[in-house]
Amino acid sequence: MQYTKFALAALTAAVLAGCGGSGGGDQTLKVKYTAQVSFGDSLSDVGSYAVGTVAALKGGKFTINGDNTAINPELTGKNWTEHLAAQFGLPAPCAAETGLEGNAAQGFSVARVKKAGCFGYAMGGSRVTNPVGPNNKLTGSALGALTVPVTTQIANHLAASGGKFSGTEVVFVMAGGNDLLFQLGSLQAAATAAGTAAGSATFASTLIPLLAAGATNPATAGAAITAAVRTASAAPGATTTTIVTAAVGAAAVQPGNSAVASAAVYGPMVTTAQTAATAAGAKAGADYAAANGPALVTAMGTAGTELVALVKDQIIAKGATHVVVNNLPDVANTPSGLSKDASTRALINAMVSAFNTQISTGLAANDKVLIVDVFAVSNDQATNPGPYGLTNVKEPACDLTAAKNPLGSSLVCNGSNLIAGDVSHYSYADDVHPSPFNNLLLARYVAKDMVTRGWL
Amino acid sequence: MNKRFNSAAQLLAAIAAMTLASAASAQSAGTFTAKVGLNKITPHVTSGDMTAPALPNTKADVESDTKPILTLAYMVTDNISAEMHLGVPYKHDLVGDGAIKGTGKLGTSEVLPPTFLMQYRFFQADTMIRPYVGAGLTYAYFQKERGSGAMTALLDPGGPPSTYRLKNKLAGSIQLGATLAFNERWFADVGIIKTYLKTRATFSTGQTQDIKLDPTAVSVGIGYKFF
Repeated sequence: MQYTKFALAALTAAVLAGCGGSGGGDQTLKVKYTAQVSFGDSLSDVGSYAVGTVAALKGGKFTINGDNTAINPELTGKNWTEHLAAQFGLPAPCAAETGLEGNAAQGFSVARVKKAGCFGYAMGGSRVTNPVGPNNKLTGSALGALTVPVTTQIANHLAASGGKFSGTEVVFVMAGGNDLLFQLGSLQAAATAAGTAAGSATFASTLIPLLAAGATNPATAGAAITAAVRTASAAPGATTTTIVTAAVGAAAVQPGNSAVASAAVYGPMVTTAQTAATAAGAKAGADYAAANGPALVTAMGTAGTELVALVKDQIIAKGATHVVVNNLPDVANTPSGLSKDASTRALINAMVSAFNTQISTGLAANDKVLIVDVFAVSNDQATNPGPYGLTNVKEPACDLTAAKNPLGSSLVCNGSNLIAGDVSHYSYADDVHPSPFNNLLLARYVAKDMVTRGWL
Repeated sequence: MNKRFNSAAQLLAAIAAMTLASAASAQSAGTFTAKVGLNKITPHVTSGDMTAPALPNTKADVESDTKPILTLAYMVTDNISAEMHLGVPYKHDLVGDGAIKGTGKLGTSEVLPPTFLMQYRFFQADTMIRPYVGAGLTYAYFQKERGSGAMTALLDPGGPPSTYRLKNKLAGSIQLGATLAFNERWFADVGIIKTYLKTRATFSTGQTQDIKLDPTAVSVGIGYKFF
């Protein structure tokens, strides 16, 4: 019996001794890609503008630039396409074209260069087909972003690679955001102009009868004040103050109306007029936006349709077999979107939805396309940041004040011009672009979908 | 279904006839038995969510495995026995579930579940069919946890190979089974063991995940008695 016990103990010990630590295991991936080709905008840009002053400011990508892992391990300076290229075992992606066409004195004029062997075509400001995106020289921007549209990016790749895709590369497409931002910016500028015009008109039409009311002949006084306001408004450098001064001056010289010259008398009248003007301006601006918003939604649908056509006719029909298309993220929940009023945010959502609907219907059930629902995950992150490890989903990590960041953009944001505190797990670097940590989350999300599809 | 049941019944009848014909068996105090067989461990996983950073509702599932088993038992009295289960490591696949369902096999882990049970065997020592119940302890010893390219892609794309560790745990087990004596020396045994096992996976990227495995082990084997 003693022997039996010993045998049992020895056997148990022998079995337990067969131990081994944990390890990474077989890292072989289901599909081996020969190259990564990326089309799109700033979200995937790997350094198209990392030249001239942008490079001097230690910028170039639209996130927190540079390897700042010494500050925090999450501050890798990498965007999602860089993480995935490494996962595929490919070299670090490089920008297919670099340069800037902006203000030479500020160092924003650097010759355009096409880089052979670099397939990072995605470029900050690029739209789907329209060559003029945010910060393009034709917008009057000092930066002079090239904003080569996706349609041209694809054409450039085809030109550089014998008119076809090899079929062994992975192709990333992520675009449409600048179609939204650019058109929304134009709409807002126009709406503001409409509001300002309506406000000025209401200000004058409210103030003049009030100022004229005390005169012996209000009609005559009104005409005189109107003429004065018109002249003052047309004068160079006209402000509300100059207009009010002219109007009060004209009113006070009218017979029986000298009392109006006193600030105690005309002051409340001006306040009344300003209140009316503000209300009228806001209404006119909102009316303009409401009237013209639907056209923007339609335009985003068109951009979506155009992108679908490019993916089908210029990418898949030319031989690509693994095309990952990211839809538009939740723009209304970016710091930029959050700064807008409710109706504008509703408009943004409608624009995003119009674009994404075209992507999902146009590319559905295509065995060479993987649509990644970035909208869903970015929308969830905005309301449920905890599980993602995000500590702030509303504010930029970069200090975007002019003193710290001359462009007010993550393009020149790095470890030296962040806001105070630990920003390593912030969602956003600037008002629309994700932080390196959120870029890692995006890379993981895309990877998850690729693994599920059997593409990774 | 009915046909299959009939043939199973016929088989049982044949075994019964065969064993009736043999000499009376004994499973009495002081007997030492060794049994070899096959054991299938099927975890019944209730996965917690992976901690941040992870997609909400990221869960894990663990697949079953079947391996040979060696069981040694000692009859303390005619009815009470002590049993030790030993065997080669079981290799289980770790599979994505919940928000990452469809990602398939992400890793593997080996587990050695040496189990010690005290049993009560019904009826007389020489009864041909003796059902038994048992209760005891299982030490779940995890080893050789391995990630994969897919796990790295999900946790840290482009980073160093990701892996994980499972925490070794002592767990309670209950058992139900029966032996069928062929003759004085040889017997067949079927048994089922339910183990109440909770463990925690810790990933190399920092996340943890609580996983209730609660495996059911079903074994069939042939045993031999030493007097």
